[in-house]
Amino acid sequence: MTTASGIRGLIPLNDGGRFVWAVGGLSLLAFFALFMLESSLAALPFFAFVGTALYGWVRHQSATALGLSLVTTLVTVTTFGLIIFFLVEEAWPALEYEGLGLLLDQDAGWTFSQTGPSSFTLLPMIYGTVAVTVVATLVAAPLGVAGALFISEIAPNWAREIVKPGIEIMAGIPSVVYGFIGFVVLNQYMYDHMGLVGFGNFFIVGVVVGLMSLPTVVSVSEDAIASVPDEMKDGALAMGTTDWQTMKSVTVPAAFSGVSAAVLLGIGRAIGETMAATIMLSHVKDIPNPITDVFRNGETLTSVIAFEYGNAGTLHLDALFASGVVLFVTVMVLSVGSQLIERRMDQKLGGDR
Amino acid sequence: MSTDTRNPLVRAESSALERVAGGVLAVSVLVFALSWATTFEWLRMGDHVAGLPMVDWFGVANLLMGGALVTVGLASWVGLVDTSPSDEAGFVPGIIFGAMGLATGFFVVADWLDAGALAGLGAGVLVGIAAVAATVVPREDLGSTLVPGSGALLFGGLIAFDVLTVDWWFAPTWWSMRFVGYWAIPIGTSLVALLTVWSAGKARSGFGTAGRQTGAFALIGLNAFGMLSILTLVIAYVVSKGLPMLLEGASLAGGTLSLGPLSLPWVQLPFVTNATGSIFVDVPGVMPAVMGTIWLVVGAILLAVPLGVGAAVFLTEYAERGRLTAVVEIATNGLWSTPSIVYGLFGFAFLLPRFADGGSNILSGQLVLGFMLLPLVLITAREAMLAVPDAQRDASAALGVSKWETIRSVVLPSAAPGIVTGVILGVGRIAGETAPILLTIRASNFPRSSPGVIEGFRFVGSPPFVTNDALLQGASALPLQLYTTIQAGQSPRPSEFSFSEFGWGVALVLLLVVLGFYAIGIASRIYFRRKIRS
Repeated sequence: MTTASGIRGLIPLNDGGRFVWAVGGLSLLAFFALFMLESSLAALPFFAFVGTALYGWVRHQSATALGLSLVTTLVTVTTFGLIIFFLVEEAWPALEYEGLGLLLDQDAGWTFSQTGPSSFTLLPMIYGTVAVTVVATLVAAPLGVAGALFISEIAPNWAREIVKPGIEIMAGIPSVVYGFIGFVVLNQYMYDHMGLVGFGNFFIVGVVVGLMSLPTVVSVSEDAIASVPDEMKDGALAMGTTDWQTMKSVTVPAAFSGVSAAVLLGIGRAIGETMAATIMLSHVKDIPNPITDVFRNGETLTSVIAFEYGNAGTLHLDALFASGVVLFVTVMVLSVGSQLIERRMDQKLGGDR
Repeated sequence: MSTDTRNPLVRAESSALERVAGGVLAVSVLVFALSWATTFEWLRMGDHVAGLPMVDWFGVANLLMGGALVTVGLASWVGLVDTSPSDEAGFVPGIIFGAMGLATGFFVVADWLDAGALAGLGAGVLVGIAAVAATVVPREDLGSTLVPGSGALLFGGLIAFDVLTVDWWFAPTWWSMRFVGYWAIPIGTSLVALLTVWSAGKARSGFGTAGRQTGAFALIGLNAFGMLSILTLVIAYVVSKGLPMLLEGASLAGGTLSLGPLSLPWVQLPFVTNATGSIFVDVPGVMPAVMGTIWLVVGAILLAVPLGVGAAVFLTEYAERGRLTAVVEIATNGLWSTPSIVYGLFGFAFLLPRFADGGSNILSGQLVLGFMLLPLVLITAREAMLAVPDAQRDASAALGVSKWETIRSVVLPSAAPGIVTGVILGVGRIAGETAPILLTIRASNFPRSSPGVIEGFRFVGSPPFVTNDALLQGASALPLQLYTTIQAGQSPRPSEFSFSEFGWGVALVLLLVVLGFYAIGIASRIYFRRKIRS
């Protein structure tokens, strides 16, 4: 445990501090174990921990503060671990039951039976999520990057003071409100004027979800564009280029990895977006033919969970958790990808600082 | 000598070209706005403006924009006006116009004229190549005006000669929808207007490098304006739709405020203060949902702020960069990007069985939202602490105080403004979340009473010694109330209030709460920044 000794090296722990650490640590471990076992006795060690922390705070504040900050850090990591564990644990029976067919079988349908055999596949939902995400990306990526360029490079001060908080507030509009507008206004409009067969379609959900992930793309790529050192831009401007030429050939290429990380994060947001799809789609589990027909109704990985968790039997629920696993894994791959890209960008731009 | 003194950098008065192209630019921005106003049905396609039906005005607008563009391009080409065009318009416009030509040719021949995919592809390729050639081959002034100009003329001509009418429709084979003139004409016009904005912007600065900058900046500026318009539209629409419900039965001094024996006239707002599903009130309200949201937010803050700030202290002040910090960073980013519905599943599988035997309960909702808030708090707290200059820490350490005392009396106070604004903005985000609480706290669609959390605490003789029935029961919250209303498909009082009346009312209250948090957060950030600068 190199970290522990490194931490211990920071502060000379006296006997009292060591006592607080030992009792606090043990009671926390006991609490965690009992809580996992669903025992109501878990409250006992929890109170013991709180008591120890209070005592330590009064008598050995430095040691206790360090200990508590370490505990909070560990709790953060543990939470993430627990999310992964419970997601996979609950999804496991469904994964075992259908195997890879869960992701690939076209004809498995979505039937769950307490007595007879069940047969289900996530393929239609994966299609739905892909369709929505593609449309959303086509909306959010170009508009978002252009918006970031405007804020960080083009806008005069007064305009920036308006647009930047505006984008931030846009991120605050709850998805259920977007969904309600889409359900009441957009679905109706498209039904009235576009000759659709029913209410709701992937295209309009994609547009709405794209608007929702727009703020993420704008603010993250704005950070990337703003982090390009002024020296690089000044060099280009000193050669007599216009501002736009500098942006096109220096700023955006230098910030390219950061901008693509922003787009990846935006895609991740779009994939995980739940309420708009749940409210606006009518939950048919079909893959349209031809598959380019995004004006059809359907289901996404997120909407199936929100719509069906309430009256799902055991295996059905496990299948919904499997849908959550697919979502989680996809979003994590995007998130890690964008982090790697950002790190590369930091190294590239940090080199000449 | 005398001919070479005209330097465009110091030219004071605007030339004829600048005035004409500037005029076209302004007109095309206006047409862009008007065509969206028509799509949104503020302006009706059937309306008559100055004796001419709306649809004919769209024809006129397209013909005008197209004619102006072609004229400006030709005038510059023959040297009537003074411009400095490059040799060609460039690759990117060529590719974009080519793609548009390909799509148009394919669409018209293959689907509209029903000549089959192969003929369509042939036609598309021909039109595409022609568009690319017209863009890339001639000098820039022609290359960047001819294609958009002739496209606008064609589109305007089709409308003017009644080929495209309001009732015109066409059903493509690859999408199960119809292009109908009713919306296709305004949306097509808005696309033409976008191209015109770009092209006229270029012309206004005399093409060349300056022209490219103006064209690009005009489009990017329009994009920013468009985003703000969407935001304004969404808010204005919810407000206009929800206000009647919110003000139903409201009066400025109709209610009473009792302070002990005193009872004062007070604002009455039944939609906010009444219960939702109760039969004893005139106006069904959202009080249970408001209280639910308040308790969720309080619980989430109580969980996330100590955890997030503590972990940020550990990461920035105590830990060396190493394996542990790397793991924490992965976990933080993971928590940040985990979809909200996955948080809901986590609460459903992990928390519900541990608190209320698998039933919905507020406590689980609080914890789940707290876990969602945690990475937001951690990230902003960390940034705020990293922004505290090391010189301040060193100065404190030089006084001989311990590391913790430095953190407590130097680092945390300096970082507090940043942490507070981060928490407020994070709270704004989780207050609007639906998916996680849908799976953890949902009870009845229209609750009859608010959760009585404060009076719900009871001490009992066996572990866990403290219980709270209110916290262990399901409840509603503002975003959840909107969703359950949508799912129920009706208001709690269907005979008096329609589904959408009640829904918009809930949406408005939710929007006010969430945007209130954002407004406070952004305002306090601006305030603290100004204070630091001065």
